[in-house]
Amino acid sequence: MTVTEPHIEEAKKDITFRVFRFNPQIDSKPYYDDYTIQVERGITVLRSLNYIKEHLDATVSFRAFCQAGICGSCAMRVNGLSKLACTTQVWEVLEKCREPNVIKVEPLRNLPLVKDLIVDMDPLVDKMKHYSNWVESTMPEEKMGKKEFLISEEEFLKYDKATDCILCASCVSECSILRANSEYVSPAVLLKSYRMNSDSRDAIHDVRLAELVKDHGVWDCTHCYRCQETCVKSIPIMDAIHGIREDAIERRGMKDTSGSKHAEAFMSDIEKKGKLVEATLPIRTNGMAWTLKNLLPMAMKMIVKRRTPPPPPLVKPTKGIRVFRSMFREMSEHVREDHKSHNK
Amino acid sequence: MKRYAYYLSCINESMTKEVDRSIDLWQKDLGIELVKMHESTCCGGSNLDYVSPKHFALVNARNIAIAEKMGLDLVVSCNTCLMTIRSAKKKLDETPELKQEVNDILKKEGLEYRGTSDVRHLLWVLIDDVGIDAIKEKVKVPLTNYRIAPFYGCHILRPSKVLGHDNPVEPSSLDQLIEALGGKTIPYEHKNRCCGFHTLLVAEEESLNVAAEALEEAIREKADFIVTPCPLCHTVLDGYQAKALKQAGDEKNSIPVFHLSEMVGLALGYTAKQLGIKRHIVT
Repeated sequence: MTVTEPHIEEAKKDITFRVFRFNPQIDSKPYYDDYTIQVERGITVLRSLNYIKEHLDATVSFRAFCQAGICGSCAMRVNGLSKLACTTQVWEVLEKCREPNVIKVEPLRNLPLVKDLIVDMDPLVDKMKHYSNWVESTMPEEKMGKKEFLISEEEFLKYDKATDCILCASCVSECSILRANSEYVSPAVLLKSYRMNSDSRDAIHDVRLAELVKDHGVWDCTHCYRCQETCVKSIPIMDAIHGIREDAIERRGMKDTSGSKHAEAFMSDIEKKGKLVEATLPIRTNGMAWTLKNLLPMAMKMIVKRRTPPPPPLVKPTKGIRVFRSMFREMSEHVREDHKSHNK
Repeated sequence: MKRYAYYLSCINESMTKEVDRSIDLWQKDLGIELVKMHESTCCGGSNLDYVSPKHFALVNARNIAIAEKMGLDLVVSCNTCLMTIRSAKKKLDETPELKQEVNDILKKEGLEYRGTSDVRHLLWVLIDDVGIDAIKEKVKVPLTNYRIAPFYGCHILRPSKVLGHDNPVEPSSLDQLIEALGGKTIPYEHKNRCCGFHTLLVAEEESLNVAAEALEEAIREKADFIVTPCPLCHTVLDGYQAKALKQAGDEKNSIPVFHLSEMVGLALGYTAKQLGIKRHIVT
């Protein structure tokens, strides 16, 4: 178990684990308990917690099972960052300690707390169900088991990485928008929806997509990339989120929701002027009534400070716009050709 | 004098004009020259990449190719432009067929994307090229006694596979700059968190909740001001500040938010008026 590298100065250290404690049945508020143990280089955070539970305090509660980064049970925040306790070595996180040799261990964020380091995964499961994140088969019941369902390699490569998800909820814990609104779909659910909607065996693509574009869905992601950065399986979650958006625009058009209208504005402004016409962006995204109601007070402040974006006629096209436009349109031809050959 | 191709971000041409104005004041003081790229176009603002990945590649290959023609690295002062253009560069460098397709079109303008110019944030240029010691030497009005909350913003840190300059968990470049200018950085949990800008028009309530948390921590920690290297973060944290704090139940506090370029300008002896700080919503 112990990895000893003689050239490294210390192979053993006294480490304090500052563990978040809260039992809602007894405690009025959360607190932290410190447990100091001698840890050898190569030991994981989970092994340390197991040692604490076995030898120092049996009441510390956490969830763990496989101890090999496969089951996803032991996700928790180590020094503030959501990760698997079983694949996180103590030595790895030592340099990120605010206090030397004190490692803070806390439960995941954005999910209800059950006790100490254990969170309730039910809200995540409920969202998975809400978006029907399983293959609803196109094959009639009577043919099942009699006929093979062949998947091309090209198709599988589209969602290969997404299938690596072990539902540990580290991304859920790090999500900026979920923290701001618990109704938000959440990154893990979007990843799974993307995976299902890319699967040719699935029959409910359009139904699922219609649900994904509603409020608290795919358009509410604010592109902070925290989900992707924290993913314990290095899954490019933002590619999946952008993939759903791309699909929504292709299948449902650019005038479908405020999110797609907002995205469309970038495309059309770049083609017309080479730059963004910010003054009318709120109107094009949400309409005049919303803009007046929500942004008028601020627009007044901005006028006073002379920081309003110029009205469309005063946005000068970028230098060399004619050639740029013809190149942009040439690429539009390429995209049309791609779609034709893709649909064949 | 080290020269760079300076990319003109849409927002700095419209709502946050003070960014480029302040950089123009001090760039020569620090021995750098930012040559403006008047032919460059909008990068797509983290939206064009999924609306049309191929247009996204074309537009940004062209932006970078203009810098390559000048023989210079491309420098930006907006986080999202940085992340977007670097993402396109990564995609072009990893996909030869895409690069070829794009270059066939770029021929029309006599341009070619080769992948020879780097795409960098102004903050990185200050730290890596100008250097902390040279900056310290130029300081005329040290920011002594100022407690400063460094708000990095997302797209100068994440995705780290695209950005790769700072550690996305414990970034340090902005802290180093603050210290070089004589200021004191405060421990700030929200330094690597999100401002909520990209959903302001689509999920305003959520965006303002995100912004309010960052503002509240800086206020609680008694920072004198927040500084950010991104004009989009600035727009939320300054322009939407009153609305965000009100939504969080705070109608009495406020905190100034400075652009990176203004903070440098102040330490180099320029006045708040010269730097355009009076144009902020919170002053």
